[in-house]
Amino acid sequence: MPTGPLVADRHPLEEEFNPFLSMAKGFDAAADKLGLDEGLRDVLRRPERELTVSLPVLMDDDSVKVFTGYRVQHNFLRGPCKGGIRFSPDVNIDEVRALAAWMTWKCSIVDVPFGGAKGGVICDPRDLSDDELERITRRYTASILDILGPDRDVPAPDMNTNERTMAWIMDTYSMHVRRTTTAVVTGKPFSIGGSRGRTEATGRGVMITCREALKKLGMRPEHTRVVVQGCGNVGGIGALLLAREGYRIISLSDMYGAIVNEKGLDVPAVLDHMRKHRRLEGYAEADHIENKDQLELDCDLLVPAATENQITSKNVDRVKARLIVEGANGPTTAAAAKILDERGVIVVPDILANAGGVTVSYFEWVQDRMGFFWTEDVVNTRLEQIMVKAFHDVDATAKEHNVSMRIAAYILAVDRVAAVYRLRGVFA
Amino acid sequence: MDSDPRHGSLVHTEEDSWDNFLPPTPLLADENPFSTMMASFDEAAKTLGADEDHFAVLRKPDREILVSVPVRRDNGSLAVYEGYRVQHNAGLGPFLGPLRIRSKLDVDELRALAAWMTWKCAVLNVPFGGAAGGIRMDKDCSEGETERAVRRYTSNLLADIGPDRDVFSPDVRADENVMAWVMDTVSTHARHTVNAVVTGKPTRLAGSIGHEDAVAQGLRIILGMALEHFGMRRPEMRVLIQGAGTVGGQLARLLHNDGILVCGLSDVHGALYNHKGLDVPAVLAWRAKHHTVVGFEGEAEPIANEELITLPCEVLIPCAIANAVHSGNARDVRARMIVEGANGPVSVRGDRILAERGIPVVPDILANGGGVVSSYFEWVQNRMGYAWLAPVVHNRLRRFMTEAFEAVRKVRQEHDVRMRMAANMVAVKRVVKADKLRGIYA
Repeated sequence: MPTGPLVADRHPLEEEFNPFLSMAKGFDAAADKLGLDEGLRDVLRRPERELTVSLPVLMDDDSVKVFTGYRVQHNFLRGPCKGGIRFSPDVNIDEVRALAAWMTWKCSIVDVPFGGAKGGVICDPRDLSDDELERITRRYTASILDILGPDRDVPAPDMNTNERTMAWIMDTYSMHVRRTTTAVVTGKPFSIGGSRGRTEATGRGVMITCREALKKLGMRPEHTRVVVQGCGNVGGIGALLLAREGYRIISLSDMYGAIVNEKGLDVPAVLDHMRKHRRLEGYAEADHIENKDQLELDCDLLVPAATENQITSKNVDRVKARLIVEGANGPTTAAAAKILDERGVIVVPDILANAGGVTVSYFEWVQDRMGFFWTEDVVNTRLEQIMVKAFHDVDATAKEHNVSMRIAAYILAVDRVAAVYRLRGVFA
Repeated sequence: MDSDPRHGSLVHTEEDSWDNFLPPTPLLADENPFSTMMASFDEAAKTLGADEDHFAVLRKPDREILVSVPVRRDNGSLAVYEGYRVQHNAGLGPFLGPLRIRSKLDVDELRALAAWMTWKCAVLNVPFGGAAGGIRMDKDCSEGETERAVRRYTSNLLADIGPDRDVFSPDVRADENVMAWVMDTVSTHARHTVNAVVTGKPTRLAGSIGHEDAVAQGLRIILGMALEHFGMRRPEMRVLIQGAGTVGGQLARLLHNDGILVCGLSDVHGALYNHKGLDVPAVLAWRAKHHTVVGFEGEAEPIANEELITLPCEVLIPCAIANAVHSGNARDVRARMIVEGANGPVSVRGDRILAERGIPVVPDILANGGGVVSSYFEWVQNRMGYAWLAPVVHNRLRRFMTEAFEAVRKVRQEHDVRMRMAANMVAVKRVVKADKLRGIYA
């Protein structure tokens, strides 16, 4: 069991740019507000279980290579653990541990009955053949099999893993337990127990969150200028759905640059261009600007849906949006968030705004358990119910404690887990 | 005995009348039911350009289990019966398939039936693979002997069956009581209620609403869509139905209520015809009382069963026996479309003749799939522990039948093939895709 100091104390990254540190700060602030005693704090800070496995894998050239894999289960008070599996050379136990805790809070905010977990294998998928990837996945699954299961721990795709990886996990698990067990993993292809609407789930959740936040500010769709950073599953789909709701999307971006049209972009046309050319460059009906300038555009709503650490103490003074909805994980640094809060800019935090993904993962697990699959309409309606409720729960908590939405989200999340802890007691 | 394809049997004839056994396709001396059945799916795989290696896996069942079933006879002696379970492919989910109790039980036939169930579940898009099993035991067994055999058979298979492993469905001589014994045996061993291990249970024992007439309801939905698709809807629709029992009788009642003229209706003893449409409720009431439609005193002309097939009508719906339409009468069929209510009611050669004549045939694998959908619904409800009301069941049945028809229609139009081929292609495509996604476990 881990006995060393927490991630927050020893992560090598510069303090401001460490998203886990901002999470730890969020947790501490919430724990203070809730007046949690030190013992309970300690329970909630530490992972329940960490598993490190060595994975001997036969490579295509007949050599054997041993990879290292992790699975960290942060907390299963509220239900089975839930969290992604990533394949990356940068995987390390600290990061996995922090992301596992992050999942606990995220599941708690949207009130799906899961605890948090995370896993990973240290490997570089770019150097591996499909067969090697499959063997790594199957060996990893077999090695952590004892702590997996629909009622124990349910993995999902993450960095460099996808629905094909999930199919291998499902197959390996099912063969070992000698029965079909689709609910052991989510993010599967539809034909073997996946859910409708999963690909768009995070983007749809972002749209719903934006809409609720704008409603709260009393802003009419046609008068709302929206800037979206990113153009993929979250940003692109979020923008598309917001445009459908009547909001004016004035800017979108990809890795290489941003496009602006004050009158509003034709989002379907932009995404079409993106699909064809793999980048926004060359899109005719808009001006092209640099990525860093995009964040400083005059707008009402800014949706950073690309990557972490985009709004920092360095550029926060020039950010003009009244409302920021975090589509990506950790796009606003803690220092920048503090300044935004003082200026009265509302920031809807990542653990609320991008929880659409884990919500539909939950739906997939539910559908697998009953073996009956909902239509896309049913999935979307239920996603909407959950996201709207989560938004208003966080908003109410913010008012009650007079804190920012980020701190409110942590308060809500921690309080729900702590409440279950008190109900269940300490198992001895 | 009327055909009951609810649970996917290839053939239903008089109980245990092996002599009358009509396989769905004519057997050549060197053929067995499994390879005959697979031949048409091989063709579908080829047309699809399906991955050879992945399809090769489907040519063999995943697992075959043979168990000895010792049973104490009522007279004190001991008899040892043989029990089988063939599990064909679990790519899409747990196995589902009938349990049959017969004095003559052929493993090759079970193999064919298991594979057939794989395809059927795939076309209907229910998350199961196919299986089939049975106990070979004498016809003269008492109910007590049958119960002891079923319980022993079940307990011998305990490691291989279960809601997530292999689910039994009823068949001839394995009715809802037998399903209840299986459920009880599994539950007793597991020390908790396991009702999702069998379907077709009595409604009081967690069976699904609507399972009695699910095949007929499904046929009605498919018939409606097929009429639209082939542009054959007329203000005055005339249909002929072979079979007046679970499937044919229920279907006749439903279509009659829809205002369709059911001009012919038959059972194993004979047939009735009235070109202005039969008074279906009266015929069925007569049959309930006299156990046959023969002798019906209303407005109808008594005819021979064989004659029914060749009378003029819009749609012929054979719901009784295999090979009702064969090379001998296919040229004389005057229907403009055939919907297969039974399993394999059109022989391979009969089908070829109909194809030449341009008469569309909506294949059994699609048309009578209401049964497996209903089995699936029962399993879902058992897993949730929550029973759906009748309207929910009906709406969802409609959804599954409609989606299956649409999938087949799309492939038919894309590849310019007949409905039967299109249905086979949909099945192969789905199963191969699932197998491919899961990969080969090593």
